[in-house]
Amino acid sequence: MQAKADEALREARYKDAIDHYKFLLKQEPNPDWLSRLAQAYAGRARQLAAKGMLKEALAVWRMRAEVCALPLELGSCLSWLIRLGEWEQVFGILHGADPLPDDQREEAQTQLARAALTAPADVLLKFPSDSPLLLHRSAALAALAACAEGDAGAMNEHLSHIPFRSPYRDLRAVLKALTLFPVDVGQAGEVIGRVPAGGVFEPLAAALRICVLPGDTWLASLSKLDKHTRGLVFDIKGCPPEQRAAVTELSLLEEDPAALYGLVARHRQAFPPGLAARLCLRLLVHVPGRIKTYGTNFAPLPATEQARILALGAELKGRPDEAEAHWRRMIDTMTAGQNARVALILNRMADGHHHGGQPGELCEHGIELLERSLDIDAADRGTHLRLIRALKIAGTEPGALRKRLDGAVDQFPRDLEILLQAMEAALESGAFEQTQDLAKRALQLDPINPKVRSALGQAHLSQARLQIAAGDLDSARRKLEQAGSLLRGEGLGGGAARGAHEILLGLAAQSPDDTAALLRAAVAKLGAGLAGIFHLLLEAAHTKRNPLELLGLAGAGLEATPSIGEMVGFAHALDAARESDPFLRGVLAPLEKMILRAAILPFEESDYALVCGALERRGARSLAGRYAEAALKRWPGRPVFVYLRAAALYAGTTTRIPDKEYTALEKAFDAAESQGDKRTASRLDALLEEGTSDFAMPARPTGMPGLHDLAPPDMVAEMEEMIALGGGSAFLDAVRKQIGKRAFEQMRREIGGSKKEFARHVVQMFTEAQDFLGAGDTPYRDEARADISVPPTPSGTLVPRIPARASSPHNPKGPPSPGIPTGAPTPSTQRPAPPGQKDLFDE
Amino acid sequence: MSDPYHLLSVSTDADDSSVRAAYIAAIRACPPERDSHRFEQIRAAFEAIATERDRASHALFDTGVTTAGEVAEHLCAGWRPGRPGLQALRKALEIE
Repeated sequence: MQAKADEALREARYKDAIDHYKFLLKQEPNPDWLSRLAQAYAGRARQLAAKGMLKEALAVWRMRAEVCALPLELGSCLSWLIRLGEWEQVFGILHGADPLPDDQREEAQTQLARAALTAPADVLLKFPSDSPLLLHRSAALAALAACAEGDAGAMNEHLSHIPFRSPYRDLRAVLKALTLFPVDVGQAGEVIGRVPAGGVFEPLAAALRICVLPGDTWLASLSKLDKHTRGLVFDIKGCPPEQRAAVTELSLLEEDPAALYGLVARHRQAFPPGLAARLCLRLLVHVPGRIKTYGTNFAPLPATEQARILALGAELKGRPDEAEAHWRRMIDTMTAGQNARVALILNRMADGHHHGGQPGELCEHGIELLERSLDIDAADRGTHLRLIRALKIAGTEPGALRKRLDGAVDQFPRDLEILLQAMEAALESGAFEQTQDLAKRALQLDPINPKVRSALGQAHLSQARLQIAAGDLDSARRKLEQAGSLLRGEGLGGGAARGAHEILLGLAAQSPDDTAALLRAAVAKLGAGLAGIFHLLLEAAHTKRNPLELLGLAGAGLEATPSIGEMVGFAHALDAARESDPFLRGVLAPLEKMILRAAILPFEESDYALVCGALERRGARSLAGRYAEAALKRWPGRPVFVYLRAAALYAGTTTRIPDKEYTALEKAFDAAESQGDKRTASRLDALLEEGTSDFAMPARPTGMPGLHDLAPPDMVAEMEEMIALGGGSAFLDAVRKQIGKRAFEQMRREIGGSKKEFARHVVQMFTEAQDFLGAGDTPYRDEARADISVPPTPSGTLVPRIPARASSPHNPKGPPSPGIPTGAPTPSTQRPAPPGQKDLFDE
Repeated sequence: MSDPYHLLSVSTDADDSSVRAAYIAAIRACPPERDSHRFEQIRAAFEAIATERDRASHALFDTGVTTAGEVAEHLCAGWRPGRPGLQALRKALEIE
């Protein structure tokens, strides 16, 4: 029982605590329990007072004194007595035979200050004539009246008669803050901040504290106020009466655009002219269903505006296809002279074609939209840069990229970022003179830019190679000297460029002896082993020299087995080599045996991953696969090597991944995720996605009917038979095996419901796919194009036509099937439509 | 506050120089060391409507969520701070 009583007291269940302690005290007069009973009575009395049940609170307080044999201590409940108008008792406490100690007396007088200002005359007569409550009362009332009149001078004069220790001292601060608020909110905040919370003038102080809150934070506090204090806030802030209901409702509103729209529309008459319409228009994109009511409440929206709102609404709901349709409709309704806006919309439409991957990556259709946008508004720097990035990521042929960049440079001849992009593209495509020209222009803007210096150095190297190949060694040496001064820093491929520079110096030397000495020194400097040989062979190819002869001159051979350190150095050299170098693959062929001999060395796991990765990135897939195999022997199932082996063996043919390998990839994905290896998990995910992204599923398990072998009608019939014979679970197991665990789980998550419902949904999906494919196996058209007209340009010519949306996140070349959830396998491969065939998805 | 025009106190037909002037005035009134959050809001507002293209883009694609607080701030902009009358003050002093 004691435990129960203590718990009730601790949890502020005072009524229970009183019962329990009283029961305990009947058993044994324990002084500790008696003390806790007194605590419980006090707690209960305060609880009742907080609810406004003052009489009941006083009764409990008296009971406390009686039951617990304690003095009544009515001073503790003075405020209740004041609120109850029990003046006799109040004055009894203040001036009775048993006077309060000084500090308590002062506190009691402060509590009476507010009451004294509004007390009737007969009550005032009961105050002692020397009470400060009476002495300062008239000054306080006069200050109050002056404040209400807005007469700050008179108010301050009256307040000066109220001493610092007066019971009315808080009123001084409150009235000063009230007067300051209209002229200096900050200072008003400082003054009111000095008034303690919960003081006797709290209703006024609380209203002021809310008024001085910054920004819109006062609104949230408004909802916690009683009606009267809220009215004070409105008075102080100057809210007109007709807007008070709207603001009160606003303070109670959850963050919900639909509710906010409704509120603003409902109170529109109370808003200043045009404001409600403007706010509701802004909210419409979040509640596009209210377009019609907007027309009723304010004015009908033009078709262009409706389309804009619906497009943004669709975007917010993650429906890019729907959004694009509305954007296109909007463009259709736009008039001449709005081409800049059309360009912006085309740019926006391209956003819907970013399907994950790298930032800035766009599918072909997205790129086309950006091109159209620039055709209309060539002065949009942001779109130029965006398009260039998308083209680079898409692996656009250097010539085409340069053409686009030339346009950007013409438009922005002094834009460093554009000049840099153009310079890199020129370098990649072997346009060395243009690289130099662009680099010089860029250096005028930023003389120490390391990227520019490195690119210029590489352009010089490239020219030196041509001169060496042509036998013009004097010119080559001059170029190499220029290159050397530029390639000191780590810039664009700095390491690889410096390696090339060392070797080219040897090839451009005046005598064979010098060549041999310089080549030996260069190979030694580049790592003595495989990395040096790699650079040497690469430069031999660039300068059309005999590789074996150069190997001989450099004292290097292909017979040795590289050490682990050499292999790591080689991997770095490989990574640093220019990706677009046409000789790169050819140079790796003579090195293959050397590289393979080193595969069995006791590499660290990270070194294996480094070498594997570099080989894979440079297209030496079989070598990468061999290294991954070797690594898997030492670390079976390690996700990164499972990925690298599969990527090496099945790149471009992921649909041929056998079941066993597929299962291994799925396990590796789970392991990578659980180990927090996000990069490997993401790469495995992409590989698995690729493997399940079309209907050519992995080979079916033995004895299982293969869905992919069946004609669509048979496929659905087969499914229904499977459910009938083996139940939903067996069917779903078969589907899981067919489409892969990942895609299956994704579908399961997206569709939800019970197993039966899910199974029915899957059959429904395939039925829809059958409907799709049934009519002569209608394929998706690869490049759906539905032209829409756009306004003529000022010159009278029509801006280029805009292609229809033809891609989706998981099927970049074709639209998704309706009814099939995102990420689920789509029921067709990406095949081009026969000429003239209508796209089923064309709008 | 998601409405950059309201935040910078410029009209919707303001030009580049007006927007820039309003931005400079706003950051002078509220430097980052005083209220970094507010400063960030001002900066974002300026970037949203700094140029004609930005303003067109904002007009077309703004999906900022208007909040109840923002609506109240719009209303507040038209209010003139005042004082409660004597009756309201006396009422506030009355003990219920």
